[in-house]
Amino acid sequence: MIGLKSTLNIIDNSGALVAECVNVLKQKVNNGWGSVGDEIVVVVQRARPISAAASASVTAVKVRRGDVRRAVIVRTRKAVRRPDGRQIRFDDNAAVLLNNKREMLGTRIGGVVSADLRMKGWGKIASLAPKVV
Amino acid sequence: MKVEIDSFSGFRIYPSKGKLFVRGDSKVFRFSTSKNASLFLQRKNPRKIAWTQVYRRMHKKGITEEVAKKRSRRTVKHQRGIVGADLSAIAAKRNQTAAQRNQFRVAAIAKAKTEKKDKETKKAKPARSSNTASGPKVSKQQMKGGKGR
Repeated sequence: MIGLKSTLNIIDNSGALVAECVNVLKQKVNNGWGSVGDEIVVVVQRARPISAAASASVTAVKVRRGDVRRAVIVRTRKAVRRPDGRQIRFDDNAAVLLNNKREMLGTRIGGVVSADLRMKGWGKIASLAPKVV
Repeated sequence: MKVEIDSFSGFRIYPSKGKLFVRGDSKVFRFSTSKNASLFLQRKNPRKIAWTQVYRRMHKKGITEEVAKKRSRRTVKHQRGIVGADLSAIAAKRNQTAAQRNQFRVAAIAKAKTEKKDKETKKAKPARSSNTASGPKVSKQQMKGGKGR
């Protein structure tokens, strides 16, 4: 249940740490709340510091504080219902940054990811994750 | 269909019941009812809650059937034949009486003696030619042996 002003942890290696939701896309139903697998627009609130040497490497930090980017929600504290009836709940809200073409900005994901991503069409992100629940 | 067990109380969770909670360290916990879930989140220790399976196992409640089952497990040893001595050969050897063994021993001794005699007669013939050479050798050895001791 992610909406305006909700903070999310960014769990890929794009360099952002915490982002704040600004808009939930394509959500005319559900009162405008975002859940796992929904695309949202975020503002980066905290990012890892960029040093001149690090920006040359492949694992460069790609975003700064104050960047407006898109993201997809991968974990929510609010329970999500699976088709077999069980409910899955995580301990925090987390997202992965994207560019305008629905492609990932980072190259790796650190942490658990919800399996509902695959059902909503984010199979590539689910396959990159070290663990899918 | 897999029936899970509750991480707090040990109850069985049938499909479409209960909740699944993934903690920050990616550890998964399953709860069959909101009672279990609430107690877990209050960080209660299941070992101290009397109706949980953990507590019952620890205090050995209602467990007498399991204990009775555990004593009937003893492996039976079967004698097997080895390469070079099959089962019948091993059995034959084991079932020899003392008299038979004695016979075999006596026969073996006699055989060895005859073989030794043959060897000595064969040795004596070529040894005669080199008798003089072996004479001083023997005396030196004896001297060395005498000094050594």
